[in-house]
Amino acid sequence: MTLSLDRRQFLMGSSALVAAGAFGATSPAMAADVHLRLYWWGGQERADRTNKVSDLFAQANPGFTHDEDFNAFNDYWPKLGTQVAGGNAPDVFQMDYRYIVEYANRGAIQALDDYIGKSLKLDDFDQDQIEGGRVNGKLYAISLGANSVAMMVNKDAFAAAGVDLPTRDWSYDDYKSRAEAFNAKSNGMRLLADGSQGGDPPLENWLRARGKALYTDDGKLAFDADDLVEWFKLWADLRAANVCVGPDDQALDATAAIDTTMITLGKAATTFANSNQLIGFQAVNKAQLTMINFPRPGAGVGGGHYRKPSQFWSVNPKSANLDESIKYVSFFINDIEAGKALGVERGIPCSKAVRDAVSPTLAVQDQEALNFVSNLGDLLGSLPPSPPNAAGEVATQLNTTAQAIAFGQTTPEDAGPAFIQEATDILARAATKA
Amino acid sequence: MTARSLSGSTASGERAAVRSGWWSRTWNENGAGYLFLLPWFIGFFGLTIVPILSSLYLSFTNFNMLQAPDWVGADNYVRMFTHDPKFFQSMRVTLLFVVFSVPLKLAFALLVALLLNRGMRGLPLYRAVFYLPSLLGASVAIAVLWRTLFAGDGLVNKGLAVIGIQGPAWISNPRYSLWTLVALAVWQFGSPMIIFLAGLRQIPQDVYEAASMEGASKWRIFWKITLPLLTPVVFFNAVIQIIEGFKSFTPAFIISGGTGNPVNSTLFYTLYLYQEAFSFFRMGYASALAWVLLVVVAVFTGISFFSSRYWVHYDS
Repeated sequence: MTLSLDRRQFLMGSSALVAAGAFGATSPAMAADVHLRLYWWGGQERADRTNKVSDLFAQANPGFTHDEDFNAFNDYWPKLGTQVAGGNAPDVFQMDYRYIVEYANRGAIQALDDYIGKSLKLDDFDQDQIEGGRVNGKLYAISLGANSVAMMVNKDAFAAAGVDLPTRDWSYDDYKSRAEAFNAKSNGMRLLADGSQGGDPPLENWLRARGKALYTDDGKLAFDADDLVEWFKLWADLRAANVCVGPDDQALDATAAIDTTMITLGKAATTFANSNQLIGFQAVNKAQLTMINFPRPGAGVGGGHYRKPSQFWSVNPKSANLDESIKYVSFFINDIEAGKALGVERGIPCSKAVRDAVSPTLAVQDQEALNFVSNLGDLLGSLPPSPPNAAGEVATQLNTTAQAIAFGQTTPEDAGPAFIQEATDILARAATKA
Repeated sequence: MTARSLSGSTASGERAAVRSGWWSRTWNENGAGYLFLLPWFIGFFGLTIVPILSSLYLSFTNFNMLQAPDWVGADNYVRMFTHDPKFFQSMRVTLLFVVFSVPLKLAFALLVALLLNRGMRGLPLYRAVFYLPSLLGASVAIAVLWRTLFAGDGLVNKGLAVIGIQGPAWISNPRYSLWTLVALAVWQFGSPMIIFLAGLRQIPQDVYEAASMEGASKWRIFWKITLPLLTPVVFFNAVIQIIEGFKSFTPAFIISGGTGNPVNSTLFYTLYLYQEAFSFFRMGYASALAWVLLVVVAVFTGISFFSSRYWVHYDS
């Protein structure tokens, strides 16, 4: 058989296809239609709550549609970075205290000062949470809730082992003194996750309680090799005494996703986390959870905690719907019903009206989170300066170093000074291209 | 137009010859050809050549994606070889991976191909089954599966426990994590196996008949006939797998959660490159890393080709 097709037939056929494609792709455009892309880090629980707010916003704003995407914290940043670089960043996306300086300096997030009082309402917003969103005096991000670092505690495990629940007074030594009793009945579970491999929050908390800090105002290291050696030794000691999990287990928690934390995996009875995460942790843990402050460096030593903006919404300055994006953010933080849908999953609401309306509706554990952050007492210190550009990379390196010690590849005495050098290099390198 | 030549009708051919001269007919035919090639040209220049050249340029700059690139000369390359322990660590991990996974994978692929080449029943089924892991190879699901299998309390250790062995934490211990990835690579032996199978089919049967008539042992037949006649295929597979090995990314990325941990023991070169580019936004440095990888792969491929003249037999 021969295939016979002349040019005219061919062209007619193909142009018909093209035309069909063109008509198919064109949907009737309406001026009121607004489509926003939202992106955040978090689990399913957060997604459900966020979608409720989007639905409420859609009811109030006919024509509004959205699509959303969410990831674990560590997966979130590479993807966001790629999208920003590719010029297709989402319209509204979550921002973290650690990255805000970097994104603001790069012009990747919109300064919102000109919108305050117009599309952005901040009338009864906590002043310290507004300050937390400022970089070089300009407001780049809106806090979605205040929180503090906190340890998740598996109540059932403590009860089963016959050990009293940790109190706000417990220091690392108090955990250590109960380890033997706990381990006797815990079937391999340990009291603590390995906080030296938990990013920089446990170290920061410990440093602050000892009167130091992670970073200075101008973004340099605010601690020295001696501090770090002592910190690494503290953990080497806790590992040796079986107070915290071993390195094989701790390494399973590579991405800081709730699902792979030591408490969720059943390897430890507590895990280093944040106060707003109790809901998220409880959602994937069968055991009853509660929360408590990070261990104190010594008896009666406080000041390590602070009320941190748990996360922010930021807006893409290149968004085609800049005004609508800001309106969405304003709705998110001010609308009472939205506040009730969100609860304290992202932290304690920063608008007083929302907080007052939400508080009586909260479930027991949410109340617990609110009370924890509201009653830090002597544990509370001042808000540290926003960390420098490369803080994330320094924290990554800190984890790797702590891991190398835990696996016996180096010692606290060697690793302390080596890390100071590496971190200083990382910060210097980042500073050359701010 | 090609449609016309496809028609094969002599009548239309004569008409064309009468209507136009040789030149315009050539143009008509080639012009259409170029027209058909156009999408490929656009893709090749727009999506391949231009980005490659851009990355060469960027490798001499500092570029954080949001501000214009800053020309820094050869600084990135200098830093890599003088100030970057992670560069050497990632190179070491990748070389170990290539050196162990490629020969093991090829040996395994050849072994399975030999077994399947004995004309058994249901061969297409077995072939498909053995090929399946390769199809799934780069997929996230397989890496996740691997992570679960080799976890401290995963299936592998439960199996070992049955025979009384207390298995280590394969993926979360720096001593074993890389070997778990090597095992994953070896398991994906399907595509070299298919190529080996095709190669085995091409070895003339009369050579085997002659050998068995002379009373040669199977072992001897393999070493003296099968393997030498198969060397062109071995060579081809080796080159492809070496390149694939250097490019390997997904398993390490998934299994270590993008970190290359524990203690950078699975920090593949491509993973380090990815971190520099997309975690730390140093596009210039990442581009320089990419070009060094290109050179390294080229050197290894070159060595393979150079050595091939000593061990690959190309007689027909």
